[in-house]
Amino acid sequence: MNRAVQIILSRPLSIAGSVLIAVVVLSAAMADLLAPFPDHRGTVVDFSNFNQPPSRQNLMGTDLVGRDLFSRILYAYRLSLILGAVVLALAVPVGVTVGLVAGYFGGWVRFVLMRTTDVFLSIPPLVLAMSIMGVLEPTLTNGMIAVTVMWWPWYSRLVHNLTLAEREEGYVLAAEIIGASRFHVMFREILPNCVPAILTKMTLDLGFVILIASSLSFLGLGVQPPTPDLGSMVAEGAQYLPDSWWLTVFPGLAILVAVFGFNLLGDALREILGTEQ
Amino acid sequence: MTDNILDIQDLRLSFRSHGGVTEVLHGVSLSVAPEERVALVGESGSGKSVTARAVLGLLQSQRSAQITGRILFEGRDLASLSGANRRKLRGTKMSMIFQDPVSSLNPLFRIEDQFREVLRRSERSADMRRTREVAGKLLRDVSIDDPERVLASFPFQLSGGMNQRVMIAMALVNEPSLLIADEPGTALDVTVQDQTLKLMRKLADDRRAAVFFISHNLGVVREFSNRLYVIYQGRIVESGPTGSIFDDPRHPYTKALLAAVPRITRAGIPEIEESPEAFSAPCEIHETAGVAA
Amino acid sequence: MSAVLKLLAGRLAISLLVLAGVSMLIFAIARVIPGDPARIALGPNATPEQVEKLRQELRLDQPIWLQYGHFLSDLSRGELGTSLYTNRPVTRDIAQFLPATLELILAAGILMICIGLPLGIVAAKNEGGFIDNLVRVVSLLGVSAPSFVWAVILMILFAFFLPLFPIAGRIGTQFDVPQITGFLFVDCLLTGKLDALADALWHVALPAFALALSGIGQAARLTRANMVETYRRPHIEMARSYGFPEWRIARKYAFRPSLIPSLTIIGLDFAAMLGNAFLVEAIFAWPGLSRYGVAVILRKDLNAIVGTVLIISAAFLIANLIVDLLIALINPRIRHGRDRS
Repeated sequence: MNRAVQIILSRPLSIAGSVLIAVVVLSAAMADLLAPFPDHRGTVVDFSNFNQPPSRQNLMGTDLVGRDLFSRILYAYRLSLILGAVVLALAVPVGVTVGLVAGYFGGWVRFVLMRTTDVFLSIPPLVLAMSIMGVLEPTLTNGMIAVTVMWWPWYSRLVHNLTLAEREEGYVLAAEIIGASRFHVMFREILPNCVPAILTKMTLDLGFVILIASSLSFLGLGVQPPTPDLGSMVAEGAQYLPDSWWLTVFPGLAILVAVFGFNLLGDALREILGTEQ
Repeated sequence: MTDNILDIQDLRLSFRSHGGVTEVLHGVSLSVAPEERVALVGESGSGKSVTARAVLGLLQSQRSAQITGRILFEGRDLASLSGANRRKLRGTKMSMIFQDPVSSLNPLFRIEDQFREVLRRSERSADMRRTREVAGKLLRDVSIDDPERVLASFPFQLSGGMNQRVMIAMALVNEPSLLIADEPGTALDVTVQDQTLKLMRKLADDRRAAVFFISHNLGVVREFSNRLYVIYQGRIVESGPTGSIFDDPRHPYTKALLAAVPRITRAGIPEIEESPEAFSAPCEIHETAGVAA
Repeated sequence: MSAVLKLLAGRLAISLLVLAGVSMLIFAIARVIPGDPARIALGPNATPEQVEKLRQELRLDQPIWLQYGHFLSDLSRGELGTSLYTNRPVTRDIAQFLPATLELILAAGILMICIGLPLGIVAAKNEGGFIDNLVRVVSLLGVSAPSFVWAVILMILFAFFLPLFPIAGRIGTQFDVPQITGFLFVDCLLTGKLDALADALWHVALPAFALALSGIGQAARLTRANMVETYRRPHIEMARSYGFPEWRIARKYAFRPSLIPSLTIIGLDFAAMLGNAFLVEAIFAWPGLSRYGVAVILRKDLNAIVGTVLIISAAFLIANLIVDLLIALINPRIRHGRDRS
């Protein structure tokens, strides 16, 4: 692990990624302290100061009802990160278990599980989440559910492929010969060897969950106003292009910065863990 | 000396990497006379494979490789040739037979396509009919009875031994004066390996080609080569006629290697003693009588 | 050739199985709606009798497996029911909106391949160098923003700031191209209106590029990785040992083999584009499935939701079949079966 940290610190791109992530996470965590107008996360109306370009008072300008965009973006980060973490916390265990069982048991178990996975993967990602959001009420919880339903099959496919390769390895055979239970072989022998790949994917995915969630709310199928959300901010502002460019550009860049950070770090992890395997 | 096919003088090779510069060859000198079969023997990592690649001129174009010393091929210094002119020698005047026959052939093309590609190095306009004619004859020479079927196949449709013979035939297409063999057949089982070596020896004799043979296995080398060099950690530690070295190994490392050759009369494989200090003793040269070296 | 046909038949069978699964899944999702679709469709002023009548028409009063059975028998006749939003057959709605979306995706796909693959090749040839790192950063940036963000940025830069491209729409209003196939490019060609075709291409450029950006990044990264991996394989060294020209080695010995895994991912990127098209269309007012899709979802228009998702999934499966076919054509191992080990 020490070596991994060393390698991360030796590459400019992964340092940049770590810095971006640190900035995003810190600004989300300390939104209450950093935001110049913490109450602007909710329904505040200030018509004396609406739709203003960036100024010293409002670093990123104000929105259509006069709320400080910078403050709202900080709170939106908090929401996005929580959403990403919850989705992965739900989707990864499900997907990993399905993939392990399918890969290790083989036969009809594998057929059923992996074909089911295929069904989920055959609906383009955003479309599946959209249709789930369509039938559910657009709330934060439901948004998490929709994205989770869309996300677990990717882990199931990844772990399935890894398991197929690992179960041919000598150490699995050795464990089987000394009579280890299937549960033990799957979760204690095979799973630890899949962890690097899973961790790498999770780092990358934290960014992509944020991306998909913002896409849903961009289409009006996610978190509802007045809760600050990067996707719906862009959607609202898009009608006022190009004059009120700050309404779309800053929330858009905010998404880009966060996802880019996770991608840079995930990419570095992939190389480090890939070569160490 | 100039009538040697290959003359390597004080070849030093180092690679640059993040951790700095690593020298892997510390002044290797060796020569191969026309029609001679010379072996370079050492364990993996000793520098024998990179020596072969330097002779082919494959390392000269790598940015990370630094080469000093001289490699003379038919009297011409490779370093004085342009990249394009070095390339012209490859596949025509010298060609190489690789360790793993199956993965060394292009997986996506038929054997005949690959033969044509090689033939076109010397005959620009060679078409498929001409290719089949040349390749068919060569494949018969490497004891393949049904060249038509083999030519129409993809590498993955043939066995390892078959691919190995295809590769030998391919190396001979343009009648090279030097054949470099990098542990041919190590990826195959022992009987097939033995057959390939016999074939290679016969074909090289027929065509009066010199062979530069790289191996980690002294047992294989004994039957095959006229002369041999033993290489250890980037240095030649012993050289001379094969028989003389086998009868009277002088360098500690050579002795250890010889002891490691499995013999049927003895039980088990003796282990190489870990005595690196003794292995760095100066080079032992057996005086050669009669052979023009 | 028969091995390819056999393979394709197998894939087709699996695709149909998966599509049946998709229909069940999406049908199940659409029926767990908490609210009453009939009431939502009719609005708050409808009488209970009217609602009940619509419920019967929609067969909402029947058990779900019966509903699914009716759905399947309708489907076998090529019907997907009537949309509550437009009051027209769903198939007709989709036929009207789908071509514009497919055209956009096709244009984006072409951009993805024509830009992404060369970028990957250039990066691989300069492995570890400046260009390699530049391509890496650019492609990571490409995948790091949703396509609506790219759409906004491209629009501000190249439609407002530098007015090089039109702001919205599929073609200028001065052109009148009769609808023959619904595919604008094809219709322009069929009627010989080349100036209209040029205008349509000009309109599609910006949205297609916004849609393609993440795919370009993916394709470039993957092609680079596969090329680098292929360059380390023994057959490259063998080709070099025979003195083949470097560009020939790049093309015949490195690019072709590394294209095989790249193609699979291109298929997946295509799937992502089918979803992301919704985002780009919304920004550029592209008259495709997006507005319809979002509208029917918000109105809980059962038949239209099921129909739209099913068609999109079918398009995705067809794209994957084409990818499988291409791979089979490149890879002799598949074309000629595995005769040996």
